[in-house]
Amino acid sequence: MERVAVVGIGHSKFGRRTDVNIGELAFESIKQAVDDAGVDKKDIGNVVVGSAGGWYEESLPAVVVDEYAGLTGAGTMRVEAACASGSAAVKAAYNSIVSGEVDVAMAVGVEKMTEVDTPTSVELIGRAGSYMWEFENYGMTFPAYYALYAVAHMNKFGTTEEDMSRVSVKAHRYGAMNPLAQFQKEITLEKAMGSQVVSWPLKLYDACPLTDGSAAVVLASESEAKKLTDTPVWIKGVGYSSDTANLSRRNDYVGLEAAVKAAKSAYARAKVSPEDIDVATAHDCFTIAELMAYEDLGFCKKGDAAKMIREGETELGGRIPVNLDGGLKAKGHPIGATGVSMAVEITKQLRGEAGRHQAPIRNGLGLAHNIGGTGHYAYVTIFSRN
Amino acid sequence: MSEPPTLHSRRTLALRFDIPISKTSEFWSALKEGRFITTKCAKCGNVSFPPQADCPKCMGSDSEWVELGREATLVTYTRVQITPASFSDRDPYVIAIGELSEGLKVLAWLEGAGEVIRPGMKLRVEARTSGEGNPYYVFVPA
Repeated sequence: MERVAVVGIGHSKFGRRTDVNIGELAFESIKQAVDDAGVDKKDIGNVVVGSAGGWYEESLPAVVVDEYAGLTGAGTMRVEAACASGSAAVKAAYNSIVSGEVDVAMAVGVEKMTEVDTPTSVELIGRAGSYMWEFENYGMTFPAYYALYAVAHMNKFGTTEEDMSRVSVKAHRYGAMNPLAQFQKEITLEKAMGSQVVSWPLKLYDACPLTDGSAAVVLASESEAKKLTDTPVWIKGVGYSSDTANLSRRNDYVGLEAAVKAAKSAYARAKVSPEDIDVATAHDCFTIAELMAYEDLGFCKKGDAAKMIREGETELGGRIPVNLDGGLKAKGHPIGATGVSMAVEITKQLRGEAGRHQAPIRNGLGLAHNIGGTGHYAYVTIFSRN
Repeated sequence: MSEPPTLHSRRTLALRFDIPISKTSEFWSALKEGRFITTKCAKCGNVSFPPQADCPKCMGSDSEWVELGREATLVTYTRVQITPASFSDRDPYVIAIGELSEGLKVLAWLEGAGEVIRPGMKLRVEARTSGEGNPYYVFVPA
């Protein structure tokens, strides 16, 4: 099988970006990624755009983004896997190289969530499940979905609201070190605990914000990668799975089965174990989601996630640092861009280019855990320096 | 800091969907009469909730309607304080997932439970009619 490497990365400033439209926002990352790769953009055979869409004016973001950046003519498509659209785009671009179809491909993640008013954004995300059976009559919201998991996890394992707030404090600590993050200010545990209840037990500081942003990666086959760079970061294994639209059809609410399956298959394909991973990003759309990710990824035993956050095991200098870029909570969560942003962050970490939030790299292995919806889609991608 | 120049587009797009319910209409008519039913596959016996005409287990399309028990046990819940735009005229509500004696789970509002809600508590399914005249179902404490 053809080996595939990340050879170029680009990342926009995340936040409320009323200064740019969708094409201009994507361009910021595409330009950086093309320059970083040192590739001629004419040689990019496939451009996959991850974007959930619906909250900005363009219906066909892929062709708009491609035209603006002068990539028209390459194979292209928009992919949707909710909040995992970015990882789905990376996987689709990766597959086009693995299959031998193209030598160089690009994955772009882009979202503009602030062109509509906040209640409309909240409405659109709340419909991300089974519309007919869980929204029409019951008005589900995205925080409500994860709150159902939080209550079950608290009830079964004794996880507390304070444990969840600790995840938020950690996210803001590293967000403050990331100049591209939406929130670059540290917060106290008291501030997180005292924030407004959104859907009990989840509070404002348990939830990621609405964000505009983009990220891009250039991927290349082994022969092209060796020509383009001395620091390729190889995609060693992509694992993926899915779960039911209706939450009522899930077996339990203490973990995401799709994430467990995706992780197992990613580890098997990369031939590595959870304890080999030097640094990870976990999908912390809500603080409870990061705690469940520790367990779903095998970083700790089922039910021990609260202990991990209490003991600082996922901090910089801890056993397995998680979300040193501030995570979705502080860096921001432009739905379709997030998975690509994770690939950018892990590539920076493995290249040793993460600056103030650089993790010690021993085995040269990083992992990106990206969830769409409430565990509806799951992608786990393992990256390696070797 | 002032906002950068923005075009406030006047081309509004209002979406209202006409959702086909012909294959589950029996469920909604039964609910109007206060009955709680779902589909059972005539070929493999798989019972689905929510009801669906085509069996997701064996892909058979020959289904029959069966009565469901009303008793449930609370699995998990949340109290929604910030409601979506289309529910903005409502007071905060409690959403619960309850497990029926058949092992099927149902997501619905939990009404009349007050402040004391805990996983494991006994619930009962009841039919309701919305302000728009559509039937729906809720949990109430048993």
